[in-house]
Order: sequence, then structure tokens, then C-alpha cells
Amino acid sequence: MTHGRLTPLGLAVRLAVLTAFLLFFMFPFYWIIATSLKTQVDAFAMPPKWLFDPTLGNYAKVLLDTEFLRQTVNSLIAASANALITLALALPAAFSMSRYGTGGKDLLFWFLSIRMIPPIVGAIPLFVLAAKFRLIDTYVILPVLYIILNMPFAVWMLKSFIDEIPREIDESAMLDGCGNLAVVRRMIVPLIKPGLVATAVFCFILAWNEFLLANIFTRRVAVTLPVGISKFITEKQILWGYITAAATLATLPPVVLLWLFQRNLLRGLTFGAMR
Amino acid sequence: MVETSGLATGAGGASAWERIRRRPYPFLLVAPAFLVLFLLTIYPFAYMVWISLHKWPILPTLPRIFVGVDTYAYIFGDGEFWNSVGVTSLYMALSVGLQLALGLTLALLLDARHRAFGWFRLPFMIPVFVSPVVVGLIWKFMLGYDLGIVNHLLRSIGFEGVNWLGDQTNALLSLVLVDVWQWTPFTFLILHAGLMSLPREPHEAAVIDGATAIQTFRYVTFPLLAPIFTVALLFRVLDAFKLFDIVYVLTRGGPGSATNVLAYNIWRKGFFENLLGYAAALSVIMIAVATVLALALIRIMSRQTPA
Repeated sequence: MTHGRLTPLGLAVRLAVLTAFLLFFMFPFYWIIATSLKTQVDAFAMPPKWLFDPTLGNYAKVLLDTEFLRQTVNSLIAASANALITLALALPAAFSMSRYGTGGKDLLFWFLSIRMIPPIVGAIPLFVLAAKFRLIDTYVILPVLYIILNMPFAVWMLKSFIDEIPREIDESAMLDGCGNLAVVRRMIVPLIKPGLVATAVFCFILAWNEFLLANIFTRRVAVTLPVGISKFITEKQILWGYITAAATLATLPPVVLLWLFQRNLLRGLTFGAMR
Repeated sequence: MVETSGLATGAGGASAWERIRRRPYPFLLVAPAFLVLFLLTIYPFAYMVWISLHKWPILPTLPRIFVGVDTYAYIFGDGEFWNSVGVTSLYMALSVGLQLALGLTLALLLDARHRAFGWFRLPFMIPVFVSPVVVGLIWKFMLGYDLGIVNHLLRSIGFEGVNWLGDQTNALLSLVLVDVWQWTPFTFLILHAGLMSLPREPHEAAVIDGATAIQTFRYVTFPLLAPIFTVALLFRVLDAFKLFDIVYVLTRGGPGSATNVLAYNIWRKGFFENLLGYAAALSVIMIAVATVLALALIRIMSRQTPA
């Protein structure tokens, strides 16, 4: 343990360890992408083919012959609508908790405690209620349900960003006669824009990836991508060509967003434990 | 703004209601988020307790019969329930234990600052941000008995192929493997960042005093790292407790009921066997356990968070 400067050898050894580790964790992604580019015959060749003629056949089939595009649109609607609603609710709350200490630690940790509820537990009563209001398999239900999953993250993330803005800034605006909402809109929002975007992206990714609730609360109309992909496992066979291509496409948006906003996303995931 | 600082500290012992009346704005700003979340959680929870006291078929046309706490009594005598408690506990212990041990080992091994380490941050975060369904499917493909790449690699270095998903013990271990694969990079990132944020002086003092590497870790580094380690531990325990998606894709609770974890058991009872009352009672029990775990996490985090 050096905890400080490294010798060139020490650095080389450590980079080698990290790289080995990295290869282990990246190999499954490589393998799934490679398989998505193979023909049915190549995909199940034994021994496996490391070199093969890549083809986009699986992608063409997934895009044209399945509900993939429709489900992509459904996922986009559910995830974006949820990110917007969650942000609109969480931003004023985070501002109030940061500046006025509203509710103190109790409220802050009440929000966190919501994150601890196993989603399957909420699914039972919410399903009965949603059926009563005829909301099953509509475009409304998932954005609303995902508030439960995302609000704790959003409140904590936004609060930690607002905490970093000096109070003097909004105090001076208050002295100029701005109300609370005006301060949020004119001062806080522009100043925490990167944090706001990261929070929205975080909510979007979580909603985009969500499976359990989407699987229970949609049937045919509002089915999202994770559910759609899981349905390529049929009674008769598992359509691996479709699955690998669809999984690759469905994973692209989160990875691109992660690449663009990585620093601030890690903060969300750890509830501010890492900055 | 200047006169508001008293609010957080209790405004001289005024009642909560008095404080709200005197300065309503802060509460009005929190109210929408609070009310929406309250309506989506607390009310359904009360409703779920009500459901759990009935025989409640999923079809609204079938009759609902009040049975009181009979369902709970039945559950506690039900071998299937205790099996899923056992499976879930074993899964939690193995997967969280392994990913934290691995993450910590790697973090200690790489206990140094270097610009190059930053390059690994993004790829290490990817598994966490991939849909669990996709993760499950990737591994279902790779762990196939005849045609999976993992068994091929094992056979090519002289081992026998392993029946990853079709054998009772192996199926549970496969779930552990997948979770460790998905989350070890994350625990590594957290623990590494934690190590980097520790003060260096205690460590140097221990080295000067002639402490061995193991002693330094045991008596200096780990106690300092303990808070962030505990947070990572509890977050992972709570997530492992909820495990559903990967079971759904990879094993469907089987073979037999070898991977029938609590969340999957609830889903199967409620939405597959149409026993909503039974599933609701299971849920009440599950949430009681989750609450105990969550309170532990909150107490620890609360101590570290400035008000």
C-alpha cells in the first residue's frame, strides 16, 4: 500500500490488474454484440467462431419483424415523462430542504427509505388500484409508478447540487424581492444545470431499464423494451438472434448517456456518498 | 432568508404546525413531492394489509373472502416460504460477501492515485447501468450447458462442462456469479474512492511504528474505511434482498424451488397463481424485514450526514 506516488513498475502492475479485471467484466458485452452480428449457424457453431462474416440480419429482423420500434417509443415515453414529472416534484422539495432544512434529517431519510422498498411489494396493491382506475397497460401508469423508484434519488441528488451553491446568491435575489419560486427558476436552475441534467438522465436510465413493474402493469399497448426483449424467450424456443440484437440496441442509450454524464451519475447512485 | 435559520433547529420549540403557519413556503415547496410519494406508498401499503386479510382472486368478478390473519398463520407454517427465506438469505450472504471482498481487495491493491486509473471508471460503471433483464439474458446465453461459451472455455482447458442453470446448487451460485459480475466494479469504485479520501497520517504513523501491512489494515485503514464500507454493504444487502429480474430471466425460480427468492415467490403467487391475498401477506412480511434493514442503513448514514 503506497497511497501516494507510484514507481513505474508499481504502476505497470496495477494497470495490468485493472486491465485483466476490465477484460473479465467486458467480455460478456463483447460476446453478446459479436453474437448479434452472426448468422444463426455461426452463433451456435461448436467450437464457437471467433472470426466470422458479420451480418446485420438480426438487426434488420428485430427492427422490421417485431414490435421493437414500437416498444422503443413506449420506453422513450415512459422514461422521459417520468424524468420530467420526478424533476418537477423533486426540485422545489430539494430547494426547500437545502435552504430551509424543511423536515430536517427525518424527511431526507424518509425519501431515502422509499428507495428501500422492494418494488414487488408495491406492485400488489398498486395493481389492484390501477385495475380499479383502468390504468393497466396505459401510457400513464409507468411514468407515475416510476416516481416511487426515482424520487429518492432525485431529491438527494438535487439537494446535494443545491447545497454547493452559496446561500448568498439566493439571499441577494430574495432581497431584490424575488419569491422562492422565482429564486429557484432564475438563480438555482441556471446554476445547477449540469446537476439538473444529470438527475434527469439518471431517472431516465432507471426508468428505461426497469422490468418488474413494466412486466406487471403492461400487456400489449404500452409494453417497454425490457419486457419486449424478455418475451423473445418463448415456450418453444429462445430467439437468441433477436435477443442479442435487441439487447445491444436497448443498452446503447444508457451507455451513451453514462459516457456523457458519468461523474454526476455516480454521485446519484451512491446518494452523495461519492462526489 | 436571514431569519430562517431558526427553522431547521426548531424555532425555539414551537410546534410543527405553528412553524408551518408562520412560514408556509418551505413546506408548500416540499408538499407536492411528499404528497405524491405518500399517496403512492403509504396508502397502497395500508390497502395491501387489507388485501392480505382476504382471499383475493385477481379477477374482480370473483368473490373476496375475509380470512383475517389465517394467511399469515399458514405462511409461517409453509415450507415453501421458509425455503424462499433460506434461498434469499444464502444468496444475499454469498453475493454481497463476494462482491465486497473482491471490491475491497482490488481497491487495496490499487491504493494509489494515478491519472490512468480514471480511464477505468466509465467501463466499470457500465454493468450497473445496463438493464437487469439484459444482464440476465447475456448470462443465460453464456451459461448454456451445450453451446454456452463458459462451458466451452472450461472444456477447452480440460474441465468438465458445468450444468449452471439446471442443477439446484449451481443455479443459485449462477445467480451469485451474475450479481458479483454486475456489482463488483461498483463496490470497487466506491471503496477505492473511500480509500483515496482517507487521511494519510495515521497510515504513515503506523508504518513508522513498525506495523505490518496486515496490522496497518486491521487497526488503521479498515476502521477509517468502515463507514463507507458499511454504506456499500447495506445498499447491496437491500438490493440483493429485492432480487427479481435476474431470477425471472435466468431460472424462473427453479430448478424445483432452488432459486425461488422472496420477490419471485411473491410474483408467482400473485400474478401467476392469482393468489393476491397470499402474495399481499408475503409482501407485508417482506416489507417488515426490509424496514429493519433500511433502519440500520439510515441510522448509519444519518450519523455521517450533516443536518
